[in-house]
Amino acid sequence: MTIEPITGRYLTVEVEGSPRRIYFEEAGQGRPVLCLHTAGADTRQWRHLMNDAEITKRNRLIAFDMPWHGKSLPPEGFETQEYLLTTEAYIETVLAVIDGLGLERPVLAGCSMGGRIALQLAALHGDRFSGFIAIEASDFQPAWYDIDWFHRPDAHGGEMGAALVSANISPHAPEAERWNTLWMFMASGPGVFRGDLSFYTRDDTLIGRLNRIDTGQTPVHIIVGAYDLTCTPDDARRTAAAIPGATLAVMDELGHFPMSEHPQGFRPFFIEGLAKMPEWAGLGREVA
Amino acid sequence: MIEELETLQRRLDGTPHLLRLGRLFSETVLIGFDGDEYYLTFEKGRLVEIAPGPSRKTPYRFGILTDRAALEEFWMPLPRPGFHDLFGLVKLGRAQVVGDILVLVKNLRFFKEFMALNRRERMEVA
Repeated sequence: MTIEPITGRYLTVEVEGSPRRIYFEEAGQGRPVLCLHTAGADTRQWRHLMNDAEITKRNRLIAFDMPWHGKSLPPEGFETQEYLLTTEAYIETVLAVIDGLGLERPVLAGCSMGGRIALQLAALHGDRFSGFIAIEASDFQPAWYDIDWFHRPDAHGGEMGAALVSANISPHAPEAERWNTLWMFMASGPGVFRGDLSFYTRDDTLIGRLNRIDTGQTPVHIIVGAYDLTCTPDDARRTAAAIPGATLAVMDELGHFPMSEHPQGFRPFFIEGLAKMPEWAGLGREVA
Repeated sequence: MIEELETLQRRLDGTPHLLRLGRLFSETVLIGFDGDEYYLTFEKGRLVEIAPGPSRKTPYRFGILTDRAALEEFWMPLPRPGFHDLFGLVKLGRAQVVGDILVLVKNLRFFKEFMALNRRERMEVA
């Protein structure tokens, strides 16, 4: 029998003028590291790192399910709403969680759309963070697919979405973790993946903001997998080159969901990223 | 290439979970490479006919047009980035999807795993 050290709780914050009940998990102590999941998925993508005693010895990893995802509910009245994530709502949500949990200048680690919003936050609210680890993150890529495929009454959007994103998983990934990664997409709520992709594939406002990022105050480290067809190494290189002082690591044997699809392969790259972040001064308050 | 397609057919018959996933898939699919064409007719997930082309009168629902070298890379046990997935081949410019792409997407897991069955064959032979 195994009982993992990850604990899960809920907090309710206000986003876009109405309450959001948000599920979050955490493990470890020390420097707070807020972890953002990809589109169409949830905090389970981070469970391997949160169960890594070496990492949690000095890092307090916190991950939360975005509203509509995982164990976080959609807002009241969702049944008549079209879910379309926006940069503004995403930023407001991340900052509300930081305030709600009383985190002082956490490291922000985000993957895919989480990496995209990490770079937006680096540009617009850098003072709220101590550094950024942007995984499979880039300035912008338009969709090479039709996002409407993933929300229609005559087919299962989750199963189609999983089949599509399997293109982004490395053949080096262990089979069990490949399928655990895809399960989250299969199980996502109707229209949620599409709504995330609307943000990811239509909002190009980050391009003009990259030069606002001050890596002298908050370092930015970008990590990208060679098997990522959505955010390719070329996309990540272009983005890193536009941020003075940003660093980049390319993972030859990983894809778009590295912490989830191949935890052991990703581990050294994440540890390297953490090492690039500032030492923690120990100012963080604990959750009440 | 007919041998490779027959291998796909044989392996599909021996892969119960794919037959289950494809139980609603009854379509004709064009596979084209280097100018050669084959029309694969599926009935309830089974590949029941492989008809060599070219043909201008065989209707097909969707098709994958690629080249033999790309397929050989695709069927490697550990393909290079891009060659590891059908849509990767498309993104690399080494394959094209023609016809009703939505039918392909609705059956994407089935069809991608079907096309990759030769990878498993080659791993076992090796």
